[in-house]
Amino acid sequence: MENRHDVQRLPFVLLIASLLIALSNPPALAHKVTIFAWVEGNTVYTESKFMGGNKVRNAQILVFDGEGAQLLAGTTDERGEFSFKVPKLADLTVVLNVGMGHRAEWTITESEIREAAGTSEGKPALKPWQQQAAGLNREEIKELIEDSLDRKLRPIMRMMAESRSRGPSVTEIVGGIGYIFGLMGLALYFRNRIKEKQKDNRDD
Amino acid sequence: MHISEGVLSAPVLVAGAALAAGGVAVGLKKMDHEKIPQVAVLSSAFFVASLIHVPVGPSNVHLIINGINGLLLGWLCFPAMLVALGLQAILFQFGGVTVLGVNTVIMALPGVTCYYLFGGLVRHERRLISGVSAFLCGSLAVFLSGILVALSLVFTQESFFSAAMLILVAHLPVMIIEGIITLFCIAFLKRVKPELFGGIHGKPA
Repeated sequence: MENRHDVQRLPFVLLIASLLIALSNPPALAHKVTIFAWVEGNTVYTESKFMGGNKVRNAQILVFDGEGAQLLAGTTDERGEFSFKVPKLADLTVVLNVGMGHRAEWTITESEIREAAGTSEGKPALKPWQQQAAGLNREEIKELIEDSLDRKLRPIMRMMAESRSRGPSVTEIVGGIGYIFGLMGLALYFRNRIKEKQKDNRDD
Repeated sequence: MHISEGVLSAPVLVAGAALAAGGVAVGLKKMDHEKIPQVAVLSSAFFVASLIHVPVGPSNVHLIINGINGLLLGWLCFPAMLVALGLQAILFQFGGVTVLGVNTVIMALPGVTCYYLFGGLVRHERRLISGVSAFLCGSLAVFLSGILVALSLVFTQESFFSAAMLILVAHLPVMIIEGIITLFCIAFLKRVKPELFGGIHGKPA
């Protein structure tokens, strides 16, 4: 009996060792990739990263519309970025293809494009008569605010993109291991019940 | 080596799921009472192993340890990997739920293969033979997984040889590291728990 317990305990060495290494070495890059795309004016900017934050260089980017027709293709640059002019007013799906089965996508909705285009495009230069006493009209103030908001929010967009590419947290790792042991408990429980039933049958 | 969601075509996904289901069924059938905790522990080890990164040049790669898993669990590594990969897909967004079957086969089939190829050899009395086969077991499992990834990508746009070359070159360092890790693990386990190897090959544990 004792022997059997030892056998079961042994692989724990392996688990604990790998767990320690995993936790002491903050998740760098696994092979998970993420892409993040956003619109500014009439340009779509994309940022591609491996999990952990390393840039995806020289990877293929494909842009599809809502119906799945390919609109354009490109390659990420040294900083993992790629930008293009909005090719069509439709839902755009930006697909990052790194090869070896690694792929990520991001969808920009038509309304997002519309909104972005509305704020910084076709903005007429202020005409002298507009600068009169009343100052700016409502529409123009709205445009100016949205414009500067776009600029101010850009770093936050980047932060969001970065947080998306962060690796798994300790909670998730420990949670996953807990899950596996929970399943083990379940499996043991059911096996035990079967065993006991057989035993009961034999006794009867 | 996790294949992402949306890369593979439907027939490959279905074939992978069917193969995985078969493997898991065989594994569950062979799973007796005493093996359950061992399966759980190795499943957890596999679950966290992919978080251990090995920097290689500009890129870096993660451990897989499907060789050790296969060697110690045999067919039981199918259910062990299915659970670990499922949790990785849900919690870490590695791979995905639809590619779970394919990914399970990619990881577990080489493990089972290594179990049959090296399961007997690592028990050899002579240190050299068992050491070399443990090393080979660790690296061959990674190699075979790479081949399987390339195979499943054939049916998409990538050609087999270019994909296989790319994957194998990227995983060359992992193959060596896994070989060394397997070597030490097996040597350690053999010294402290030789029954572990007797147990999986029919002899009672």
